[in-house]
Amino acid sequence: MRKIRILLADDHKLIRGGLRLLIEQQPDLTVVGEANDGREAVSLAKSLKPGVVVMDIGMPNLNGIEAALQITQAHPEISVVMLSMHSDESYVLRALKSGARGYLLKDSAESDLIRAVYAVAEGKSFFSPAVSKVLLDDYVRKLKRTGAEDAYDLLTPREREILQLIAEGKSNKDVANLLNLSVYTVETHRSNIMEKLNLRGVPELILFAVRKGIIS
Amino acid sequence: MPAVPNETASVPAGASPDPQSTQRARQVRLLLLISFGWLLALLIGAGLDAFVSVRRLDAVSQQVSRRFSARNQAVVAIVLSVHSYDDELERFLLQDQFNEPAPEPATIAKYIADIRAALQRFPLDNDPDEQLLLSAIQQQLLDEENSLSSITTWRPDVRQQRAYPFIVEQLIPWRTHVYDLAQQISALNARKLALDNLAVATSFQVLESRLMWMVALALTAGVLMSLICGWYILRLERQGRQRYQALARSRLELEGLSARLVAAQEQERRSISRELHDEVGQTLGALLVEVGQLSKVVPADDRVTQSQIAHIKSVAETAVKSIRDMALLLRPPMLDDLGLVPALEWQAREISRRSDMEVDVHSDRVSEALPDELKVCIYRLVQEALNNAASHASAKRAKVTVRQDTEKITVEIADNGSGFDPLRSRGMGILGMEERVRRLGGTFAIESARGQGTAVKAELPLSPATNSSAAA
Repeated sequence: MRKIRILLADDHKLIRGGLRLLIEQQPDLTVVGEANDGREAVSLAKSLKPGVVVMDIGMPNLNGIEAALQITQAHPEISVVMLSMHSDESYVLRALKSGARGYLLKDSAESDLIRAVYAVAEGKSFFSPAVSKVLLDDYVRKLKRTGAEDAYDLLTPREREILQLIAEGKSNKDVANLLNLSVYTVETHRSNIMEKLNLRGVPELILFAVRKGIIS
Repeated sequence: MPAVPNETASVPAGASPDPQSTQRARQVRLLLLISFGWLLALLIGAGLDAFVSVRRLDAVSQQVSRRFSARNQAVVAIVLSVHSYDDELERFLLQDQFNEPAPEPATIAKYIADIRAALQRFPLDNDPDEQLLLSAIQQQLLDEENSLSSITTWRPDVRQQRAYPFIVEQLIPWRTHVYDLAQQISALNARKLALDNLAVATSFQVLESRLMWMVALALTAGVLMSLICGWYILRLERQGRQRYQALARSRLELEGLSARLVAAQEQERRSISRELHDEVGQTLGALLVEVGQLSKVVPADDRVTQSQIAHIKSVAETAVKSIRDMALLLRPPMLDDLGLVPALEWQAREISRRSDMEVDVHSDRVSEALPDELKVCIYRLVQEALNNAASHASAKRAKVTVRQDTEKITVEIADNGSGFDPLRSRGMGILGMEERVRRLGGTFAIESARGQGTAVKAELPLSPATNSSAAA
């Protein structure tokens, strides 16, 4: 069995040490490199070609978001798990826009890191349960206070199905094949979903899906 | 806590009015008042004097000419009456040669009375020469009266015989003599007129020279005082300019100081925040990971140890959380990590989570590459305004709008809270916001009224050139 090769990027040696300890307890995971800042992470990703990069969001020189963006643009096959102290959607959205597929709170790294690494290595997304909870709480609170209705209720069952598939990272063609629809129909559904939920772009769509617990 | 800006504090020492300079200012004012009053009195006095004198001289000269013509008339009246008497007397004397009705002696005597009346009508004054001449005429009149009384007694033959010799030898010389006397009076009168005219002319000259002196004096005094005043005004102006410059300098220094203060505060917050987050926070984070490892190593059935580990973990988690909250409050890394708008959105949600107020953030064309001080300024502005809205005004909704144009960036924070009177209460928070905005060369305004909510508005220039002098 091929081991999943992992690059750790964090400006704190202590944290890297702890993460390495966690990862190397798994027989099929291995840490191939450690980067001290964003710039080093980008160059190591290029030279080591890891399967997964576990990256701290706040690092000197080049922060984790910028580094993730450079890595995922140059090497789409590399999956990035973002490590963050913040559960706010501003961070989650930025991380998503930078191409990260996993978003992990440092608090829960110890229990969730392994699951997150496996998930993104398979091309799925992973969000710390605490993040989903905060996103949902914010959303519900806002709806209640402003008296607005939940836009999700406006979606048809078919649209909800398609929303989940897109959020999971499937292309229009994949969705069309899975649901036995034409690509054109999927595209129409997709733009209807975006309009009903008032979303701009896939990252916002993923965020919405995480918030509603459609994906995790 | 409302703080009133202390204006006097910016006035440099020595510029405030002390009792000594007040005393001096009063003296100067008094001196000016006296000098100008004196000058004015001089001018008015000269004018009045000239007016009165001219009036007086005019009256005198009129009187002189009136007297002259009255005398002249009197003389003419005398001469005319003498002439009439002379005619009548001749007609009486020569009545036998001409075949005409002769005048009665009583009528002739009446002519004498006419002459006397004319003499008496002469306006008298106490001139001895004139008196002398008049009494001489009087005397001649008396003589003539005597000779007339003898003539009237003449018989016609005597009269025929003596008429011509009388006329030639007595009447004509007498008449000539009286005329001569009248002539002399006339001449005397003319001389008097000349003298009087001379006197008037002399007093006019006196007046003229006096007036000239007064005008010259007033002019000199005026010029002198103008010079002194001009000098004094220039001195005051120079002093005023110096004071203004000193004031402007100290104000500039004060601004620079407060700018440095704000910058230093921000710097300090950032470094403490980073220290907390990087050192303490990360160490605790690592500790948590280690504790997690420990709980896996310790057998699950060792309840006592496991519960102790769980306790250590929860204590460490609490510490991590409070450290993080402190770090966030001091310097939100969002500003560095995410840029302005996401940081504001984070701030808005943070307030929404903590309070009963729901905050919406709207942004329009806001660049991600704004200068750091601008980002910090806007961030702190929004933070302060939202905190005020949530805690003091108990607002339920708030709206943050950030809009970027080519030259400026506009921030507005509006809430539906209880509002306040911005003219009366200005807390430290508002002063701080104002200071931050002013430091970057922007404008700051608060619109609020009781029960009307509050709108905090700031406009910041994108190239803060105005700030360079204050920061230097």
